[in-house]
Amino acid sequence: MTVAAPVYLDYAATTPVDPRVAQAMSECLAPSGSFGNPASQHSYGRAARERVEQARGQVAQLLGTAASRLVFTSGATESNNLAILGTARAAAAAAAGKCGHIITARTEHKAVLDPCRRLEQDGWRVTYLTPDSRGLIDPAQVRAALSRDTVLVSIMHANNEIGVLQDIEAIGSHCRERDVPLHVDAAQSAGKVDIDLAHWPVELLSVTAHKLYGPKGIGALYVSPGRRARLQPLIFGGGHERGLRSGTLPVHQIVGFGLACELCSEERTSEARHLEALRARLWQALSAIGDVLLNGHPTQRVAGILNVSFPGVEGESLLLGLPELALSTGSACNSDSDEPSYVLRALGRDTELAQSSLRFSLGRFSTERDVDEAANAVRREVERLRAVAP
Amino acid sequence: MTLADPLGPQIRALFAALDHAGDLEAGPSSGDCRLVSGEAGREELGTRVRFALRMAGGCVQAVRFRAYGCPHTLATCEWLARTLEGRPSGALNPGSPLDWARQLDVPAAKLGRLLVIEDALQAALARQ
Repeated sequence: MTVAAPVYLDYAATTPVDPRVAQAMSECLAPSGSFGNPASQHSYGRAARERVEQARGQVAQLLGTAASRLVFTSGATESNNLAILGTARAAAAAAAGKCGHIITARTEHKAVLDPCRRLEQDGWRVTYLTPDSRGLIDPAQVRAALSRDTVLVSIMHANNEIGVLQDIEAIGSHCRERDVPLHVDAAQSAGKVDIDLAHWPVELLSVTAHKLYGPKGIGALYVSPGRRARLQPLIFGGGHERGLRSGTLPVHQIVGFGLACELCSEERTSEARHLEALRARLWQALSAIGDVLLNGHPTQRVAGILNVSFPGVEGESLLLGLPELALSTGSACNSDSDEPSYVLRALGRDTELAQSSLRFSLGRFSTERDVDEAANAVRREVERLRAVAP
Repeated sequence: MTLADPLGPQIRALFAALDHAGDLEAGPSSGDCRLVSGEAGREELGTRVRFALRMAGGCVQAVRFRAYGCPHTLATCEWLARTLEGRPSGALNPGSPLDWARQLDVPAAKLGRLLVIEDALQAALARQ
């Protein structure tokens, strides 16, 4: 007897590699593929370089920008670190070592919060904005927090736990008025919603391949014209990526990243419609259980993420009682901890509600059957655990 | 408990069969039949446990619990209920949370939750 694989509802943690992407990567890794070092001057190197630049163009097209403005990194965590620490170090160097001020939000991913905390240890001042109860940062909050020594604002586009989308254009226009660069962590939104860097008031933007059906271990940082000179690299050794990120470029991963972005460019609109329909179906079924709460803004959100609290049910127990589903209580990057979600706490949810939440994240390969199976399993387990509760 | 499975098979099995979850009726009135219960913890702190024990004929006739908490909490409550049922009321020492953690392979990070279980159980036993 074979055991059916759990229904995958954790696309916000990572997506499976699209088979078309896997095929392209596999071809690249074959002896006849583009295995050369893109920095080499011989024909193998030139062939590899060509594939890298083609992929850079595909990523750039998805983001509405020029290929020359992208720096390949190992993923969004590195991109965020490069944007935040790189900007801070360059600013300090330009100000004779003086530390400045950074603005971010309490609901950011740890890949933004941890570099900010690191800077605080070095003497930097960091303002952590609190969102409203739906998870939104009011652009006026950013404007009010800007001060004369602010060197960077870092606000994510789509939240990884609740899927809420921030108004990046409004936030960025306040930053532009004060000539402060805006960094956006777009790991959860790239490939899912429209990003138009040609028109957005954004100086730095982080993306990663493994959230958009590409491979793990590859991402990019968009650096606006003029910002490159005000960004210090974090990794040295060869001066790759025009000095901002040394290290031999992983051609097969970059090729996969590029194709994944191209597929998102082509299929994003229809995919978003598909996911919105599935999310609505899931929410309708879950809300029928009774006494359930949606976390985050009901409409200003990416299509695939649904975060729900089940009062009276502890999240870790709920998760264990759902072996037929693969999902998270919150951020996968944080799930070793049994602390309640800091994102939900920042929205004002009490500890009990924050502990009772599940994040359902749907994706390209999700089906109505998956959603129905998930809703039935959650109903069964919520009812069982509520019956056990005092 | 392994890196791949931080819960372990015993916890999983107990959690899957919470047969002793529920309440106890006082039972047919007889001279020595008593129902005792105790409670500890708060949901907002992550754990709340209530134990009910029916003592009759010099032993624990039945144990039921209600609990809000992590899988280790629920599984430990179930294990204790199974362990205590049928024991003579004069030999009810359920051991300490450290003993339970060793028996069930509960990680040290969850010891605080076992202390809440101990408080609830002791509160019940103090009333026997």
